[in-house]
Amino acid sequence: MASGSKVTLKSSDDEFFDVTEAVALECGAIKNMIEDIGISSPILLPHVSRKIRSKVIQYCKYHVESQKPGVSEDEIKSRDQEFVKVDQAMLFELILAANYVNNQKLLDLTCQIVADMIKGKTLEEIHNTFNIKNDFTPEEEEEIRHENQWAFE
Amino acid sequence: MVVRRMSSFPDELLEHVLAFLSSHRDRNSVSLVCKSWFRIEAGSRQRVFIGNCYAVSPAILIRRFPRIKSVALKGKPHFADFNMVPPGWGADVHPWLVAMAEAYPWLEELRLKRMVITDESLELLARSFPNFKVLVLTSCDGFSTDGLAAIAAHCRHITELDLQESDIDDRGGHWLSCFPDSCTSLVSLNFACLNSEVNFEALERLVARCTSLRSLKLNRLVPLELLHRLLVRAPHLEDLGTGAYLHEPRTEQYSKLKVALQNCKGLQSLSGFWEVAPGYLPLVESVCSNLTSLNLSYATIQSAELTNLLGHCHKLQRLWYLQVLDYIEDKGLEVVASTCKDLQELRVFPLDPYGQGAVTEEGLVTISKGCPKLTSVLYFCCQMTNAALITVARNSPLLTCFRLCIIDPTSPDHLTKQPLDEGFGTIVQYCKSLRRLSMAGLLTDKVFQVIGTYGKCLEMLSVAFAGQSDFGMQCVLSGCTNLRKLEIRDSPFGDLALLAGSEKYESMRSLWMSSCSVTVHGCKELAAKMRNLNVEVIHDRDQFEDISTMTQPVDGLYVYRSVAGHRKDTPHFIYTM
Repeated sequence: MASGSKVTLKSSDDEFFDVTEAVALECGAIKNMIEDIGISSPILLPHVSRKIRSKVIQYCKYHVESQKPGVSEDEIKSRDQEFVKVDQAMLFELILAANYVNNQKLLDLTCQIVADMIKGKTLEEIHNTFNIKNDFTPEEEEEIRHENQWAFE
Repeated sequence: MVVRRMSSFPDELLEHVLAFLSSHRDRNSVSLVCKSWFRIEAGSRQRVFIGNCYAVSPAILIRRFPRIKSVALKGKPHFADFNMVPPGWGADVHPWLVAMAEAYPWLEELRLKRMVITDESLELLARSFPNFKVLVLTSCDGFSTDGLAAIAAHCRHITELDLQESDIDDRGGHWLSCFPDSCTSLVSLNFACLNSEVNFEALERLVARCTSLRSLKLNRLVPLELLHRLLVRAPHLEDLGTGAYLHEPRTEQYSKLKVALQNCKGLQSLSGFWEVAPGYLPLVESVCSNLTSLNLSYATIQSAELTNLLGHCHKLQRLWYLQVLDYIEDKGLEVVASTCKDLQELRVFPLDPYGQGAVTEEGLVTISKGCPKLTSVLYFCCQMTNAALITVARNSPLLTCFRLCIIDPTSPDHLTKQPLDEGFGTIVQYCKSLRRLSMAGLLTDKVFQVIGTYGKCLEMLSVAFAGQSDFGMQCVLSGCTNLRKLEIRDSPFGDLALLAGSEKYESMRSLWMSSCSVTVHGCKELAAKMRNLNVEVIHDRDQFEDISTMTQPVDGLYVYRSVAGHRKDTPHFIYTM
């Protein structure tokens, strides 16, 4: 298959979008589908909305471009950091999408951002940041705290 | 599927996020967020650190964390280093190994400190974990070189074997020849504490085929004349512990070693140096300028040559140094102060632990004046003054660890004859990041008052022959909010002080008290009040004495929180209250 070939992707809201094959192959799941059915029909991505799909494509494009000579590590890093400056909802959707299309680099990048939101935070801060309900009873919580602090610190 | 909340994230994605969190603190926080986070974190944690092997059990560890690859365990209390914990006390790793052999067959790393490990345990380890890579045994005992042979022979992927200061039954150097020819993975090998000769050719071949070797600490029986043969095969070494330099070098040997040493361009850390023949020292000088760490604590070098050596160590960050008798050692420290501007850690040991030290307070003051980055000090000296300690406090506000030992443990300020309260008090006051303090000399309750007031970062405090009454200990217990370990010997603290800290001991790793004024009655009361603490009395009694009615002070007491309940392996001289 010629590297300039076009691949058509179809998102969950029935929108069609063309990308170069090189960009499409960045995503493992899409690569597998292309190997199975070729590029003549659109690749269906029912779990990815138009908005998310275009962000993922943007990321894949960056990475195809960054494989060209002359692009420094620092440039890639700073572009990545800019890319993930999104709100929490978008960030989570990107993680799910990266997982779904099997783009390991994007998955690592987005998961690292979430991990950074947890590092060094207190329990209360984590609860507030992610809006997660504490479903432990006070006794259960105390037991875990004791185990954490007395045994594993 | 639109998911905007992390609470409905699929498990494997949360696990992927957690893979980027390695600190215990962060993972412990995550485990308390909610039940599913607890479950996923526990299922994915790979490294665990257990600061007190009796605070938890193998069963609890395995039940909580099913996929551990790396375990670090600490056993005996710190005062075991000074032979204050009787033999047979415990901290046997065997039950842990038996449980982990079944639960964690993929185990890769084991780091033990102050634990007992037998040859049987080492053999079990060698045969149970096919992916085993790292074995670090710091201040451990109970095994012989036969156990090491099993490790060498069967751990095919071993990268690190480190016998840091362990007490080993040395039955000969044959163990080293047990590394098979197929073993090429070693990155770090430390057998400095062993006293038998290994087969040099076997060692040479081992070094040659382990191309990733970065740290090699030989024992004193590897002769210096042959060292160049090892260095030539390991030019990427970063950390070298030499053998003994017994004889004056012949010209040919000297130049071969010089070339070999200079070829090790990454060498940053040197140790060993038993019995150095002065003729070799200029060689060492040629690599000194790159060194960041120098351990001369075994070196009986005469000080004039040593002083010359230190004068070349401009990048030194860590210096461990042995005092030699009959020389004014403060001079050596003057050279360090003027040369080693990056010095962070200094340890000065006495040649004879029960006898003389030659350094005085002057050496310490000089260092503090010359080395602005000083953070960690261990200093054995023969005399001290308040003025010197105050100067040190002013010059070295970045100190995080300050440990002083004076040969006569109750000596006052040798000029004013006053207690050293003011000096140590100023250290605690000025050094706002001080986490570890070990005091010496004549000390009253006053110093403990200051420690309680200012020692807010203090995590570990060692007290010997100090204080006048329970009040001293009470000040520390009520004031030092971050205290984790308190160890006290030969000080007049009794039941009142002990009980004052009842709730506090749940927030600390442990309390050790020996030769104090604590009685069985006080210990029983503490145990009755605080059900989560193990209160262990250490007392060597004659067979007719009933410990429960004893009114005299106990020999020793060890108190620690535990989620595993009472120990089941206490020897005859330990009584759990």
